[in-house]
Amino acid sequence: MNIPFYQVDAFTKIPFKGNPAAVCIVDDTVTETMMQQIAAENNVSETAFVYRNEEGFQLRWFSPVVEVPLCGHATLATAHVLWEEGIVPKQETITFNTLSGWLSAAQHDGWIALNFPSLLGHQVPLPQEIRDILGVNPVNAMFILNRYLVELATEAEVRALTPDFSRLVNHPRIVVTAKGDPGSPFDFISRMFAPCVGINEDPVTGAAHCALAPYWAQQLGKQSMTAYQASARGGVVKVRQEGDRTVFSGEAVTVIKGTYTLNPSYATATLSN
Amino acid sequence: MQLPLYQIDAFTDQLFRGNPACVVPLEQWPADELLKSIAKENYVSETAFFIPQGDGFALRWFTPDIEMDLCGHATLAAAHAIKTILQYPGDNIVFSSNSGPLEVAVKDGRYTLNFPSRKPVAAPLPDNILQSLNKAPREVLKARDYVLVYDQEQDVRDIRINRQLFDKINLDPGGVIITAKGDKVDFVSRFFTTQASLFEDPVTGSAHCSLIPYWSEQLGKKEMNALQLSERMGTLHCVDEGDRVLISGRARTYSTGTLWTE
Repeated sequence: MNIPFYQVDAFTKIPFKGNPAAVCIVDDTVTETMMQQIAAENNVSETAFVYRNEEGFQLRWFSPVVEVPLCGHATLATAHVLWEEGIVPKQETITFNTLSGWLSAAQHDGWIALNFPSLLGHQVPLPQEIRDILGVNPVNAMFILNRYLVELATEAEVRALTPDFSRLVNHPRIVVTAKGDPGSPFDFISRMFAPCVGINEDPVTGAAHCALAPYWAQQLGKQSMTAYQASARGGVVKVRQEGDRTVFSGEAVTVIKGTYTLNPSYATATLSN
Repeated sequence: MQLPLYQIDAFTDQLFRGNPACVVPLEQWPADELLKSIAKENYVSETAFFIPQGDGFALRWFTPDIEMDLCGHATLAAAHAIKTILQYPGDNIVFSSNSGPLEVAVKDGRYTLNFPSRKPVAAPLPDNILQSLNKAPREVLKARDYVLVYDQEQDVRDIRINRQLFDKINLDPGGVIITAKGDKVDFVSRFFTTQASLFEDPVTGSAHCSLIPYWSEQLGKKEMNALQLSERMGTLHCVDEGDRVLISGRARTYSTGTLWTE
């Protein structure tokens, strides 16, 4: 069995920046076990599997160890592939049926926009241990769904963070953010640490912007903003707050295109060891 | 630039087992930065790059973090790509590398790596590493890697490492080998790297450059079968030849593709 695959860097148009995702175009004969094995072999943060049935496009995301309920950058990568390969005409919006319901992707001038539910939370004191690990004195802290959102005073403070990741393992995910410097092209910047799920620092995180956009919309009194995730790879995310939804958009570039050559008998062979 | 890219599972004859390596054939060396970026993008334990040189090839290996001094499984993967995909006519492939000349002999789908022997000698174990382990080893030796010897195979299977302590030390390009006499094979092992993107390496050819001389002496055997007991598992046939070791295994091609660098 041959499965076409693509590796796409999402939230950038420059290879080796942004957040890499693998995208596999499959049919309904590819089992869940195969999807998990392929994702483990790829070892990128997420591998997306897309196939078309009478309902439309079905989309699933797998990390190297588990199926994940929602993933922004791999959805963006998948939409990029479907348009680039001419599977869907470029002017057409794509809708995906996913574990998180129907998600839509639309393209304008090379920017791919995804419409996700916003994530709202409440103000909390940031635990002293997290302050110590980050070495920061935050302006504000929120707890949103399952993560802390920590606002610092300056861009420089966010960029300079070098936390001891091993000490963050027992804490929830942390999104650190700051308003853009005067004259900066960005309304806000952020970084995202998630050692609790095996990711020290995520390169660029769509879902984090579903929490950042409503937060900064309120702080800055703006509905449309441009953001930068200041990881080593880095990526630009444009956001628009629309009521209880967040539209975030990014560019994408295909870095690898190829074929997995799976022996049809592999499924039985792998059970034998 | 547009480059061919292969992903190959080494030290196994089954897909999704052994150790995945990416292999990128090149015409000439680009800037090191590009090699590092490609290895980081691939995010497998090692990416092998090679260029033609004389009758053979010059070979380099990169992890997602650093350039390696020596890597067995990506050498095996490179040889598999050269033989089966690039259709190299000979049965003996000669690489030059940072660790000197390396030969790979191909016979009936089995690749035999001729690598330097790195006999480990008794050494003290750094406290952080000792304290990170659920059980203390019975013996500690070191060459490039620390070799931690345990009483039985089950100890190797059951090893637990507290990364918070383990990651306090940088051993680049070395790592920590956990080993014991095997129940069904001559010896078993696992391999862990401190401060690395990939904590446990599935199958580690270069670790066997130290394991082979050690176990050869312990067991009084020149020829041994070894298992690396990671989740993916690897099978290695080993021969002690004094200042060289022979490590052999099989390989499976997982993917073939093209990589764009701009």
